[in-house]
Amino acid sequence: MSAVTANGVSSSRFGVSLKIALRELRGGVRGFGVFLACLAIGVTAIAGVGSFARALSDGMLREGSRILGGDIAFSLIHRQASAAEMEFFRSKGAVSEIGTMRAMARATSGAATLVELKAVDGAYPLTGAFQLEPNVALPKALLRVGNRFGAVVEQTLLLRLGVTPGTEIRIGDATFLITGTIASEPDRVGAGVGFGPRLIVSQEALQATGLVLPGSLVRWSYRVRMNDSSDSALRATQAQARELFPNAGWEVRTRSSASPRLEQNVRRLAEFLTLVGLTALLVGGVGVANAVMHYLERKRADIATFKAVGASGGTVFSIYLAEIGMIALVGIALGLAAGTALPFLVTSLFGKLIPLPLAPGIHLGVIALATAFGILVALAFALWPLGRAHDVPVSALFRDTVEERKSWPRRRYVLMVVLAVVSLATLALLVAESRRIALIYIVAAAAIFLVLRFLAWGLMTIAAKLPRPRSTALRLALANIHRPGALTPSVVLSLGLGLALLVTLTLIDGNLRRQLTQSLPKSAPSFFFVDIPSSDVERFNAFIKQHGGNGDLSEVPMLRGRILRVKDVPADQVKVLDPEQAWVLQSDRGITFTDALPEGSALVAGEWWPKDYSGQPLVSFEKRAADGLGLKVGDKVSVNVLGRTIEAQIANLRTVEWESLGINFVMLFSPNTFRGAPHTILATLTYPNGSSQKTEIELQRLVAGEFPAVTTVRVKEALETINALVADIAIAVRGASSVTLIASILVLAGALAAGHHNRVYDAVILKTLGATRRRLLLAYGAEYAILGLATAIFATAAGAVAAWFVVENVMNFRFQFEPAAASLAALTAVVLTVVLGLIGTWRALGQKPAPVLRNL
Amino acid sequence: MNISTPIPVSAEPAIRLTDVDLKLGTGAARVHILKKVSLQIGQGEAIALIGPSGSGKSTLLMVMAGLERADTGSVRVAGQELTKLSEDQLAIFRGNAVGIVFQSFHLIPTMTAIENVAVPLELTGRADAFERAKRELEGVGLGERIHHYPAQLSGGEQQRVALARALAPEPSIIFADEPTGNLDEKTGKEIMDLLFSKQAEKGATLVVVTHDLNLGNRCDRLIRMRSGEAQADSAKART
Repeated sequence: MSAVTANGVSSSRFGVSLKIALRELRGGVRGFGVFLACLAIGVTAIAGVGSFARALSDGMLREGSRILGGDIAFSLIHRQASAAEMEFFRSKGAVSEIGTMRAMARATSGAATLVELKAVDGAYPLTGAFQLEPNVALPKALLRVGNRFGAVVEQTLLLRLGVTPGTEIRIGDATFLITGTIASEPDRVGAGVGFGPRLIVSQEALQATGLVLPGSLVRWSYRVRMNDSSDSALRATQAQARELFPNAGWEVRTRSSASPRLEQNVRRLAEFLTLVGLTALLVGGVGVANAVMHYLERKRADIATFKAVGASGGTVFSIYLAEIGMIALVGIALGLAAGTALPFLVTSLFGKLIPLPLAPGIHLGVIALATAFGILVALAFALWPLGRAHDVPVSALFRDTVEERKSWPRRRYVLMVVLAVVSLATLALLVAESRRIALIYIVAAAAIFLVLRFLAWGLMTIAAKLPRPRSTALRLALANIHRPGALTPSVVLSLGLGLALLVTLTLIDGNLRRQLTQSLPKSAPSFFFVDIPSSDVERFNAFIKQHGGNGDLSEVPMLRGRILRVKDVPADQVKVLDPEQAWVLQSDRGITFTDALPEGSALVAGEWWPKDYSGQPLVSFEKRAADGLGLKVGDKVSVNVLGRTIEAQIANLRTVEWESLGINFVMLFSPNTFRGAPHTILATLTYPNGSSQKTEIELQRLVAGEFPAVTTVRVKEALETINALVADIAIAVRGASSVTLIASILVLAGALAAGHHNRVYDAVILKTLGATRRRLLLAYGAEYAILGLATAIFATAAGAVAAWFVVENVMNFRFQFEPAAASLAALTAVVLTVVLGLIGTWRALGQKPAPVLRNL
Repeated sequence: MNISTPIPVSAEPAIRLTDVDLKLGTGAARVHILKKVSLQIGQGEAIALIGPSGSGKSTLLMVMAGLERADTGSVRVAGQELTKLSEDQLAIFRGNAVGIVFQSFHLIPTMTAIENVAVPLELTGRADAFERAKRELEGVGLGERIHHYPAQLSGGEQQRVALARALAPEPSIIFADEPTGNLDEKTGKEIMDLLFSKQAEKGATLVVVTHDLNLGNRCDRLIRMRSGEAQADSAKART
């Protein structure tokens, strides 16, 4: 369609619309504060999360060789590299050998604690700088003086053992002198989360501890700083290593994937936070819809005038689409600027406090994604009211708005809305790390929108049908809930979405904490004892019997192995069906052998091997892992254990109650597989009647004194470590969800403010007729309380269902409703609605009737 | 009632304004709306406030109805000194003592006719609010339309509802601000007939702001407003 301009030149309708839109905007964008803020906040969240994730992955890439400790690293469990392997490493460049294991450090006072022991050679670190406090060179700090080796430790260790630098401690059979504390360990990030503080010694010292025995859980890592550090040389080296040593069973990492697990976790967290950001944007969308609706209502006379002078409905639609579009772009641009600036800001303000390498930058991909989300949300929410503007009659100039019934926009506009919504969902799915979680999110978001829309409709219908209360205040409250243009839909949606999310996150958080702390089953062990030499088992049993009170000791042989091939497909080429199970192939796994199905396991396919089975090696696989890798009974897997490759057939599949914390493994082998192989024993000690921290610490101390080689993991202490990590993540989650809450409160405040005009009218008339402010306050308070309460009940229920789903189906543990937390959230919502509503209404109450009456 | 009918004598007039002064707006836009206005209106009197637009007649009515505060001077209405009352006390005063009819009706759109009429009765705590509201609506000829919303009523009908609402609490004074301004001539006349008959029936004082001299001539007295001053105060016979 085209229009003819004054000079007779035909120009597109859009051109004309744009010109008129620009002229209209000269009047300013009053009433668009919430609109702008909602879009800006949502886009900030998405752009901010994306920029952060990119800053981190770029930082990891940039600092990859520092994090890894070289250009390429080979890590082995149980065994050191062979001479041939060493020769291969050396042919590529400078090599540093690192041994890591968990061990017990004992102070002379008898106090003992678990440490993450790291034994380094003289070449360490190949990349980055190691810093000590006091400032001495690391090799010097680790030197042996007399019969004592030097050791440098993390500050935490000093606190745990109650020692200071210069003090003597013991690990295994060796004596150490603490010569300094670690100020900066260049490859710390790559090491992941430890259960104890770091303690660094020399290779010689590690051997002197007597802890390195065949079968003990030592990880040997060989970092190579390549002579030719090009990417192609790196790839060639990887290929060569695979070819020369196909059965080495090592895990190879390069500087471009220095810490795949951390990267994966960051990606997952980023994905989750993006969804939270998207929620903020969706909540903001309600604000967008409200703002557009109220703007167009204010513009009805103008629209009717445009039509009276010849504008078609389509032209009216495009004029206001152009206007809204321009304002939306401003909001999106604000959000992009803020989101992109966020990593720069955080790095410059708190860079030193963040233990992760951040390389902030401007990423077009992130900006494009946040822009796309912003535009689609703006369209999805603005098109409906814009479509209705098409049909504003010219008679609107002469008629009261109250008479009109809101109707659906024309089909083409409904289709546009559907298209925008579908595009939004598709985009969310396309960029998701886990399609399943994105799909769950989309379905949940759609369901909550529908439920809340239905609730709003239901509330309005009930309010309209209820017998009219005799009390004016209540009647006014009810009338305000169902009258045309009532606040009900926008308040219910904005408050409901924000609250549902709050309740969901609160309940997930609470359940996670409970799972990690309070809800340890009675059968959960208090201790794991790792690396008990098999020759010491009898003595260890006797010792625990004597000092371990009424605890139940159970033990299994333990080795670590790495899956090399699955059904003859090399592990790195296996198509993993369920990404959640990819971890099984990513690193070495604890394995055991047994002739009986362990407790906490249930056989679900195949058969258990007979007691004295002596045929080909058999393995029992955990069901979910097997499903994830596409394995079934009868399939073969090759596992490298102690440098030996074992091919075993899957005899059966088991389900495992991991949450019981009992000893269990993904893979259990038939005992004949490892007959005679060196191994250590893993034991658990369980107190069916519970135990106190004091007795546990005392036992830990006694075991450390008597069995220096045995590593004691106190379950409660380990859980505290995990808890602290969860708490850190929870802060990020709360940070992101608070953005949603802010958006929600903004929309709520905006929705309440939009009703202000009606409120002033009512207040003035009622005051003219003799109503006092108290009475009006009661009426409005009642209205807000009814709306807030009804929404709170439904949103809490919706949030609880969502949390239940996530806890039971995504996190896989039992959900427990927490009435206190949920009620608090609901109560907050009611109070918030009433307070925000009354703040807005306060002005209405204070209005002197005369000026208003004069202008009505 | 004609001019010879004596104005009911009582200890105090229904309305007594003394040196009422009022300015509105701020800065350069500040306008002196009422200039030392003094007047008395006896109980049961019907008064027309006439004058050109902007002369201050509506503002004067608002001051008398307790909807606007005078800057200086005394406003004594129905035995109350309004200048001394708080915002809420003024609201209670209006609910008890006065009924107001507006040019634009000012009904609450979310309430039915009967609910609109019942509001002031409920606010003063009348248990029989709805019965009275119904009677009042029947009295203005809307007995069949009591459950209609304002938007479902014609302009004339809406003004009848507004009239019923003003009369329902049996106020001693009725204020009407251009009550026929938004109505056609015939409907306007019907409304005014109704207003005068109800005023006579209830013996209330009536103050009407109007441009319409014919309407003014139906009142007992005319008070002419010009540039914020109450000028002539002439007695007229009702037609």
